[in-house]
Amino acid sequence: MRTELTEEKKKPVAPALIGVAVLLLIMIDLAINTGSLKVSMSQLYEGLFVAYDPDVATVWDLRFPRIIIAVLGGAALSVSGVLFQACMKNPIADPGVIGVSSGSSFAAVLVAGLFPSLYFFTPMLAFAGGVAACGLVYLLAFKNGLNPLRVILVGVAVNAMFSGLTQAFNSMTGGNLTGVASIANANISQKTWDDVYIISGYVALGLVLAWMMCYRCDLLSLSDQTARSLGVHVTGTRIGVSLIAVMLAAISTAELGVVSFIGLIVPHVARLLVGSNHRVLIPFSALGGAFLLLLADTLGRTIAAPYEISASILLSIVGGPMLIILIRRSDKTYGI
Amino acid sequence: MEYKENAEYVMEARDLTFSYDGKVNVLEHLDVKFLKGKITVLLGANGCGKSTLFKLLTKNLYPDEGRVNLYGEDLEEYSLKEFARKVAIVHQNNIAPPDRKVETLVGYGRTPYLNAFQTAGSKEDEEAIRWAMEVTHVDSYRNRPVSELSGGQRQRVWIAMALAMMTDILFLDEPCNSLDIRYQIGIMKLVRQLNREYGMTIIMILHDINQAMTYADVLIGMKDGRIIAEGEPQEIVTPEMIRTLYGIELPVTQIDGRKYVLAV
Repeated sequence: MRTELTEEKKKPVAPALIGVAVLLLIMIDLAINTGSLKVSMSQLYEGLFVAYDPDVATVWDLRFPRIIIAVLGGAALSVSGVLFQACMKNPIADPGVIGVSSGSSFAAVLVAGLFPSLYFFTPMLAFAGGVAACGLVYLLAFKNGLNPLRVILVGVAVNAMFSGLTQAFNSMTGGNLTGVASIANANISQKTWDDVYIISGYVALGLVLAWMMCYRCDLLSLSDQTARSLGVHVTGTRIGVSLIAVMLAAISTAELGVVSFIGLIVPHVARLLVGSNHRVLIPFSALGGAFLLLLADTLGRTIAAPYEISASILLSIVGGPMLIILIRRSDKTYGI
Repeated sequence: MEYKENAEYVMEARDLTFSYDGKVNVLEHLDVKFLKGKITVLLGANGCGKSTLFKLLTKNLYPDEGRVNLYGEDLEEYSLKEFARKVAIVHQNNIAPPDRKVETLVGYGRTPYLNAFQTAGSKEDEEAIRWAMEVTHVDSYRNRPVSELSGGQRQRVWIAMALAMMTDILFLDEPCNSLDIRYQIGIMKLVRQLNREYGMTIIMILHDINQAMTYADVLIGMKDGRIIAEGEPQEIVTPEMIRTLYGIELPVTQIDGRKYVLAV
């Protein structure tokens, strides 16, 4: 009787993973065909591998980089959220909300505005900016442990400071340096294959590292003393996992600008669907994040066409209320 | 207590001094030894230093002066992982995500034997996990999430996790805290069984004097960072000892030749 009960209540992990993967594929197809040009899958295949097709070439150069960047960025941001939540034992930690993304963004904007020749090093400098912001949050919020709400409060302040700096810099440069403006305004409409090459390696590396840390993340959800009694260096693990999280957030911010809340919404839904085990939570969140950011970006292209609403604005509209809901029920997610 | 020459001690602390703020010493030149294969209970009022001693013995704090030896070797020589293969600890106030399953949690006890990216899975791991769940009687709800368990059941899960570490020494910090009396006695009997049947050396902090007297082989009474009484509970517990420990008068009575403190 009891076993039947647990069988029934067991969360269907494989269908959930396959389901979100299928959703993502459908979303990619939709995104390819949103706009004045339409190409079917077979036309796309022929145009790419068989014979030159001007429609396919246009879509390939204009829409594909943007789609791939949205997919990679969404995956990176939501996994970054999962990792921060594990490190801080805090279901409302999100790289955007706690200011890590704006730290990265500020560094990226400085590079774009002052040292455009360092363009290809942008991810690394964005990483440095993210580490600085993350370090600030840890230092300022730490007081006998990390209180979830204090982390958010300090994060809001850090976030405000770095976004202010970013916006100030954007204004100082007249707001017309495209590189600066696109990061400052989280605009991904003019992405090229070069951008894809810059971000893809880092995101892949970050996601693999994150997945390798899944068991450590599970252990971090125990009380610190207990994790330590199992032979785990808790502080070291926390720093390591945070660095991976910062890296994921920084890379995507360097390309996408600050996109908040995706690291909040996706992991939360993921926990409801597949549970808190990071071995599943991380891949599921990666796929879910890719889907959600691509959805937001594609919607943003369509609702007010020919004007575009950036994905980060759409996500803020959904994410703000979501943050409030999560704060109100955060005590149920961690700690029993 | 007089330390006997030929007795075997698993742990000993020598000349232990510790302070949190660098001004007030919580412990001062404390010496203590723990007998192999015995249940030792630390007893004392709040703030007497027993929790500090517990933390120093379990590598959660490091002494300002003096040293702690485990099997004759300085504790600082042990890495956290090596230490976790020798000593298991059940701390207070444990937490876990509500959907984590009992079996998964018990499996975490195998962490000291795994590398950073592994999960428990070897035959040895499985045997240890099964044994730990059987001894603590949590195997009947092994597939349930912790959120569905009662406080007493949860405490057994945490003990099972510690047992899966397959150590000879087990530390428990107030294992009966906030459990009802039925679960308290269940936990105490489990502790005794682990000691008598499996020969585990057990060191624990208890608050209930009568439980301490009933289940301890050796009682250590602490006050103001010093040990003021140490020995067999039936011998050392007296109204005077209670007065020194807690600063209140409690009568000590005898039932069937055993002493009990009327702690009301």
